[in-house]
Amino acid sequence: MNTLARQLTFFAPAAVMTAWATVMLHTVASGRINELLSPMFRNYVIACAAALIAFSILYLLLFQPTQKTAPSFAPTGTLRQLGRWLVLLLPVIAAAVFSPSAFSSTTISKRLDPNASYQMPTWYDKNKQVAQNVMDTDPSQAAPVEVTDLIQLGQHPDQAKAFADRKVRSVGHIMLTPDGSPKLIRLIMWCCAADAVPVTVDLKGSIKGTFQRDDWLEVTGTAQFPAGKDGKTTPVINVDTITPTQEPDEPYLSP
Amino acid sequence: MYFALFDLPSTPVAASTGIAWPDVALSFFAIVLEGAPFLLLGAIISGLVDVYLPAGLIKDWLPRSKTQGIFAAMLTGVFFPLCECGTMPVVQRLIRKGVPPAVATVYLLAAPGLNPLAMLSTWVAFRNQEPWLMVALRLGFTVAILTFLGFWLMRVRPENMLRPEMITGPARVRPEMTPNPGLELTPRPGSSLGGLQEFTGAVIRDFTGVLLFLIIGAAVAALFSTGFNRNLLAPIGQNIFLGPIAGIVLAQMLCLCSTTNAFIIAAFAPFSIPAKIAFMIAGPLIDLKLYWVYRSCYQARFVHLLWLLATSAVFMLTFLYALKP
Repeated sequence: MNTLARQLTFFAPAAVMTAWATVMLHTVASGRINELLSPMFRNYVIACAAALIAFSILYLLLFQPTQKTAPSFAPTGTLRQLGRWLVLLLPVIAAAVFSPSAFSSTTISKRLDPNASYQMPTWYDKNKQVAQNVMDTDPSQAAPVEVTDLIQLGQHPDQAKAFADRKVRSVGHIMLTPDGSPKLIRLIMWCCAADAVPVTVDLKGSIKGTFQRDDWLEVTGTAQFPAGKDGKTTPVINVDTITPTQEPDEPYLSP
Repeated sequence: MYFALFDLPSTPVAASTGIAWPDVALSFFAIVLEGAPFLLLGAIISGLVDVYLPAGLIKDWLPRSKTQGIFAAMLTGVFFPLCECGTMPVVQRLIRKGVPPAVATVYLLAAPGLNPLAMLSTWVAFRNQEPWLMVALRLGFTVAILTFLGFWLMRVRPENMLRPEMITGPARVRPEMTPNPGLELTPRPGSSLGGLQEFTGAVIRDFTGVLLFLIIGAAVAALFSTGFNRNLLAPIGQNIFLGPIAGIVLAQMLCLCSTTNAFIIAAFAPFSIPAKIAFMIAGPLIDLKLYWVYRSCYQARFVHLLWLLATSAVFMLTFLYALKP
């Protein structure tokens, strides 16, 4: 029994590190990483997984089971040791198995500032380029835009004026504010899903359909940029149709 | 806020005010997946310091006076920035190598707080809202608070600050003297790879030791950042007295990285400038996740005191700034 416990205790560090690496690699290979981390951090996870596997192998090659035996419940006793390794192992596996692909409306509602005026800052000066790309799309087709594209266009009056009345299609969730006005909503993620915050575009017009809570929906309509009371333009989609659609490959938008 | 359910525009149905536990799991998973690579990086740096940097050399590099050491630690935080999760193993190793705990602790607080990327992100996030003022306030207040904390730390005896197992001096630590007593490392005899053996052992010990606390911290952070309705603080965000408190409370519950928090708060309209500054400074100093990460090295009583003093200092400075006409 003691021999078995010693062997288990010896292999535990390598097993835990390899399990973490496996969870990380599976998250990357399955595409779930897109639901958890911003693109900047994804390669770090792959590098970390590779390093953890390397350290697991080095550990097995360079160390051996201890010959000492401490009482099971002593700080270095086998039971206490195994318990600690399970604490390192079980939560991350449970989270990997049970966590959903995206936040529910319950959490989104707690993170939403109904009066936020997002500036959409980025590390790169790509805002104008993004807006230009949207404007360069074929005017006879509904332009595929993200909520953030419309917000960025709305912050440049000349571009908003040029783009106004263009047909657009955009994907997100739909919610109603307490006064009953509907909004198209997406989450933007800075580092990881834990810091994701919602951004919205107002919807007007024909808003009909039967949807489930948290459904991904594609809204088609006409983009408009009316000036608010404060003089700032607020993007609006005058809705033609709303149809259920697949979850996007990147459920979160990156700044 | 309400959510549409069926047959828009039917009567809106109120979103649940409870906690969505699957969302807590998602937040937790994201936090540990983001933090683990940086923690491993910190452990690798710690291992390199352990094996290749003699304790005597570190002592030679350190300024003779503790006061100079405090400012040197702040400068080191600027030029060798690490994120919150990655700094802890390095600081533990530096303390074991003989760096005064006060100096190492100031580095622990300065590395994320004075991180040049955090300052750059502040400028970018506030570029339409007086960016230079926001950077100057964040930098100036952080330096002032770290100086205050540094002078306090100089007066705290290591035995009242560190976990007992941390007070080992530069000597090689025994397994039971680490934050992770579950790990016993018995080298294979006759190996000619002594340096690699020591390095591997140090990395694994430090990574798994702090990982335990990161997991606890991430779980608490996920619970609060998911379950807490941040709009509850909106009504007091503009108040001169309560605004900075709201900023501090929100920062310590959301547990954001120092390089990210400016983006999150820049667009939070209900908060005043002092509340936003309090948010950006308080979080990187100590939050619900860092509380547990710090506990891997420090005694609980010390961490509580550090929280009290850091939080009070942030409040005092931002409150005084809010009073200006």
